[in-house]
Amino acid sequence: MPKITIDGNELEVAEGRTILQALDDAGLLMNGIDIPHYCWHPKLPVDGSCRLCQVEVEGIPKLQIACDTPVRDGMVVHTQNERVKQAREGVMELLLVNHPLDCPICDQAGECKLQDYTYDYGVQASRSKEPRRALKKNVDLGPTIVFDQERCILCRRCVRFCREIPKTGELAIFNRGDHSVIETFPGTPLDNPYSMNVADICPVGALTTKDFRFKIRVWFLEDVPGICTGCSNGCNIHLGVANNKVYRYVPRRNDAVNDTWICDAGRMSYRRIGAPDRLRECAVRDESGRLEPVGLDRAIEVAASRLRRLVDSKGPGVIAGLASAHATNEDLFTFRRFLAALGSETHGVAVVRGEADDLLIKEEKAPNAVGARELGFGDARTVVDRIGSGGVDAVIALGNDALQEGLLGSEEPLANLDTVIVLDTHASELQRVAHVIVPVRHAAEKLGTFVNAARRVQRVVPAVESVWETYSDGEVIAKLGAALGLEGFDGSYDARQVARDLAAANPAFAGIDLDSVGDAGRPLADSAASKAER
Amino acid sequence: MLESPYVTQYLTEHFAEADYPTLKGYERFGGYAAARKALTEMTPDEVIEVVKTAGLQGRGGAGFPAGMKWSFMPKEDDRPKYLVCNADESEPGSFKDRILLERGAHQMLEGILIAAWATGACATFIYIRGEYAFPAAQVERAVAEAYAKGYLGDNVMGTGFRHDVRVTRGAGAYICGEETGLLESLEGKKGQPRKKPPFPAQYGAFGMPTTVNNVETFSHVPHIIAKGANWFRSFGTEKSPGTTIFGVSGHVVRPGLYELPLGTPLSEIVFEHAGGVPGGRKVKGVIPGGMSMPILPAGQLDVPMANEFLREQKTMLGTGGVMVMDETTCMVRAASVISYFFRDESCGQCTQCREGTGWMNKIIERIERGAGEEADIEVLGDVAGKMEAKTICAFADAAAWPIQGLLRHFRDDFVEHVRQRKCPFPGSFEL
Repeated sequence: MPKITIDGNELEVAEGRTILQALDDAGLLMNGIDIPHYCWHPKLPVDGSCRLCQVEVEGIPKLQIACDTPVRDGMVVHTQNERVKQAREGVMELLLVNHPLDCPICDQAGECKLQDYTYDYGVQASRSKEPRRALKKNVDLGPTIVFDQERCILCRRCVRFCREIPKTGELAIFNRGDHSVIETFPGTPLDNPYSMNVADICPVGALTTKDFRFKIRVWFLEDVPGICTGCSNGCNIHLGVANNKVYRYVPRRNDAVNDTWICDAGRMSYRRIGAPDRLRECAVRDESGRLEPVGLDRAIEVAASRLRRLVDSKGPGVIAGLASAHATNEDLFTFRRFLAALGSETHGVAVVRGEADDLLIKEEKAPNAVGARELGFGDARTVVDRIGSGGVDAVIALGNDALQEGLLGSEEPLANLDTVIVLDTHASELQRVAHVIVPVRHAAEKLGTFVNAARRVQRVVPAVESVWETYSDGEVIAKLGAALGLEGFDGSYDARQVARDLAAANPAFAGIDLDSVGDAGRPLADSAASKAER
Repeated sequence: MLESPYVTQYLTEHFAEADYPTLKGYERFGGYAAARKALTEMTPDEVIEVVKTAGLQGRGGAGFPAGMKWSFMPKEDDRPKYLVCNADESEPGSFKDRILLERGAHQMLEGILIAAWATGACATFIYIRGEYAFPAAQVERAVAEAYAKGYLGDNVMGTGFRHDVRVTRGAGAYICGEETGLLESLEGKKGQPRKKPPFPAQYGAFGMPTTVNNVETFSHVPHIIAKGANWFRSFGTEKSPGTTIFGVSGHVVRPGLYELPLGTPLSEIVFEHAGGVPGGRKVKGVIPGGMSMPILPAGQLDVPMANEFLREQKTMLGTGGVMVMDETTCMVRAASVISYFFRDESCGQCTQCREGTGWMNKIIERIERGAGEEADIEVLGDVAGKMEAKTICAFADAAAWPIQGLLRHFRDDFVEHVRQRKCPFPGSFEL
């Protein structure tokens, strides 16, 4: 492995990497060794056009661009000397010659690389007295993105993104020289399943999303690491949180999962967190058939007494569990333990399926389908079949994914059951047949782990707290278990402890707890369930 | 015989012959004997060796040794190899390739064939400037003749060597004369230079090993093969052998093309061959090698026209386009024209070039119309310095150098504009 020296620090690097890649690999880029850059992006082809990343390489007379200079053994690189500093100042000054400098009204302010680098590497005052380019403002590029041509610094990240990642190529540079502009081709709007990533990679305020722009200044946002729950890919995200509200999802880099991208559908799924159809209170169906709002204790009491009556009269075999692939491993482990303690053997997980692609979007539209199966939940089909054959009198349903065509199809098959207990985040047709309803937390509101399609265990932490009372599925199940007097249930639920119990009980999760899993996740060990699945 | 203003050496010797552009006419003067000699009597390495010994420098502007360029083509490589003939002559002040295409298309084709043999290339793309309609027609006819005669195709001259030639046309961008910008354009993409490495010899046209040479460079090759390296070295200087065609334009009595040995003093070209400035006026400055080369003031015209001497005067031979400006010329106006051209033609990839060409042009135009300040002159020089040597291709240099040259030698013109708040040279050339 070649050894290089950057600013006096010796670094061992992989063969065939460029200087910027080597620093990125080592986690040092802009994190110890600062080489500012615009056109270079770790997940896009090298462009080499912004010329900001120039560094001095001993033995080469001209400054070299770090993004396109391969490392050689013994290479000595200087990134902070006077010559490099002047070159950077030169590029920064030129980039600002035509920039409108409208930071006060620009939505990118606060996370703008032009702003940041101007403070860090630029010159204090512009010497340009010339009129700036007057170009198009507020250009509607497509359903998701708005473009300000004047702010664009023509780094071409967005052009390369569209060409290389979704491979749709909607964007191109038109004209040349200082009249170059980015445009779409006539009749071909920027419209692909990943279009909004261009706003993330745009270093300036040229490309912004219609969804987020002007909603809040970014410096008010706290970035909470989390996982997108839109499908089983489990893209790593930052939830942008302020005032106990999630304003956006942006992709969080994880080279093992989603690189630096996220699909538009996943990005927009943040809206589900505070959606008007969120369930806000516990309810039980009274004798007149109306749903009556109650407290959690009352809901648990009603659920427990209905289940107890069935167990006493018909045995636990008539109680079925429908698990949700939106629930965490900790929820599901608790649920599975509950069903076992109760003596129910009819259970399964319902997963909504949809379109997939070969980039990020997976077929299973829930974050934890693999985890649910790993924890012993089979196909919900078996539960539905048993309901159809009349062998079930009570259903405990986590979520409402079993309503889909091919499983229940509607709430109808449950209409004549003795007891339907629903734990859900959002309203659904299940409300029409439920006897007990408990609102539960969205992934953005709780602590726990999911297992993605590539069998990676990933953590969510509470980013916001709902203003109404909600509970983790596991917490509700634990209370229900205690109310039923089941063995091993004392009514308490602590996700951290459950994760440790899970690790001890299931070899695939061995050694994984809510701390050690970290923000980047950890691969799940192979297990009987995973081998059977393959 | 056509009337010829040319001072003819071997390249243009027969250009006045009416039938010389045809295959029959070309062969009448010994055409294609050199190619036959190379293909039947010489190994590719021997050809490269002769061209190296001859010291033929590329005539496209950069002056890179042609034989060495050919030797960069990978030998152990199964991919098809290509040659590209750069006929996208678009440097303002340069018009030598045009005559070589119009009157010497077979001479160029013979050079291409020899280079193809030397490099193992199976095909050549001749990329001709879009505006060159007549030259392109001449080349297309010559190619058709060569195919008909068996000088191109599957079995060149019965040797079993295969070589195809395809003529393509540019669409009017200066930057497509830069070799990798040309390759992009050739492939049907937007003409933007590629970053190097990889160089064309590794990754050229359509990703294949490629050598790009200028029209004139190819045109010298048959003569070198026919008459030998030592004969070639009898022209020009020790370091810059051979002749070149100087295109003289501007304020001279006899503008035109002059084939002269490299190293001919600039003053001889301007005053003897081109007849000096009309009307008894004095020379103010001369751009020696196309618009991208820094200007020389009247006092430095004794310089021999070869890179080793021109570099000492901080300029270069470029494409040999000699532009003469007399004492009535406003050098700020010249700077304005030059900077407008480069602003318009920059491909816009690199920050320094894209923003720098525009900024320089805006400053110069402001000074020209009398709205400049002395500080602007400093900024102008500084912007030019920021552009130099920091970009993907040499365009930014080409845009910065002439402005630096004008500031170096004619700073007073800029200062006078600022002080008088108007142009002190009324009646200076208009476009």
